[in-house]
Amino acid sequence: MDMANDEARWVARASAGDAAAFRSLVEAHSSALFRVCARITGDKALAEDAVQEAFFNAYRHLREFDGRSAFSTWLHRIGVNAALEQMRKRQRVESALPEDEDAREALAGALDAPPGPERHAASGEIRRDIERELARMSAIERAAFVLRHHEGQSLEEISATLSLSISASKQAIFRAVRKLRATLETVE
Amino acid sequence: MTMDMISDDDLILYHYRDGLDAKRIVEIDRALKESTELRTRYAAIEHALARADAMPTPEPDADFNARLWRQLEPRLGTRTPPTRESWRDRLRAWSASMTAPRLALAGACALALAVGIGFYAGRTSAPPTLAESQPDAAAARVLDAYVAAHLRATEGVLMTASNSNSDALADSNRELAASLVQANRLYALAAARAGNTRLADFLRQLEPVLIALANPSPSSSVQPAQGLRDYLDSTDLMFQVRATEARLDRSGTHGT
Repeated sequence: MDMANDEARWVARASAGDAAAFRSLVEAHSSALFRVCARITGDKALAEDAVQEAFFNAYRHLREFDGRSAFSTWLHRIGVNAALEQMRKRQRVESALPEDEDAREALAGALDAPPGPERHAASGEIRRDIERELARMSAIERAAFVLRHHEGQSLEEISATLSLSISASKQAIFRAVRKLRATLETVE
Repeated sequence: MTMDMISDDDLILYHYRDGLDAKRIVEIDRALKESTELRTRYAAIEHALARADAMPTPEPDADFNARLWRQLEPRLGTRTPPTRESWRDRLRAWSASMTAPRLALAGACALALAVGIGFYAGRTSAPPTLAESQPDAAAARVLDAYVAAHLRATEGVLMTASNSNSDALADSNRELAASLVQANRLYALAAARAGNTRLADFLRQLEPVLIALANPSPSSSVQPAQGLRDYLDSTDLMFQVRATEARLDRSGTHGT
């Protein structure tokens, strides 16, 4: 209750150019925003860039925030799109890296290798494989999956955040889960 | 309805209890009770999703907030403590607050008029002495401060247009881009009249981009954003905007 009142005051003061009030908003929301951006990008450095861009964009558009939704919801939406943008940039930079098939072959080769002590660290191995598979998902698939699975957003909210139809949001989640399952079937 | 009609995609939606109507959820409930094969398929999906849950939650490091604010604050164009401000601070604060389209245009008009008058006065009077050239230097710094604020707004428009697929943001961004087109033209004119051809040329290069942002394709909101991202990536326009903005900021701060 107090937090909500504080937040409303911070938003009003930050809209009027009060940097200290905006800093309060940053400190209140940066960790949650970082978590969702890190899950989407799969990279802490990219997540940090995304969080910074998200707050910068939020500051510039603070006067357009009408208070109909929670500030965190509004900010979250900006953050998700900033994370997607960071992923798009990275994907273009990494376009010279091996295609999916090559990566799959490399993964299969590693799995066919004689089992060493590391191979027996099964949970760590699987975790890395899942991370690798999540990294291979398209930005939209990954974001839709993270928002549905980790953030508990409804399809309606996801479609609004990602500017997709509900059907497209569903398909993105379905593809993400299929890829995740395919990886698990390979490694388990 | 048979069990075969329940796809894995249906089971994913069932897991989240989202995207299915109540009748369909009841049908799947019943089918799960009746079919071992369906239960096996559903268990496989739940197992995969549980594996995703096992992934560690990414947490920022202890210095994250301080680092974030250090990087963010200079970009906001604000001053944290409301201490005594110099005329440059007040000018910059006022310029930075000119995000409202009409104010941005009004500022550009006023500045273009002021620089135009100064230029005209200079052309029609005797060559300036050292003392007389002081107002020119001050006018140049004022122009720099105004154009820096204009470039900050332009950068914001470019970032929003390329980062956001939100219709709500896109509408206001279009309006702001439209106002910046006119302001940009006036600033280019003012820069040319002040003899700053480099700045004038750069601003002229910005104009077609701002026009495109002010008049996007009516079809999809996603494709123009992607097109702009590709354009920004294939050119160094964003870098140039930021670099010019930083240079003008320095000029406004250090120029005497």
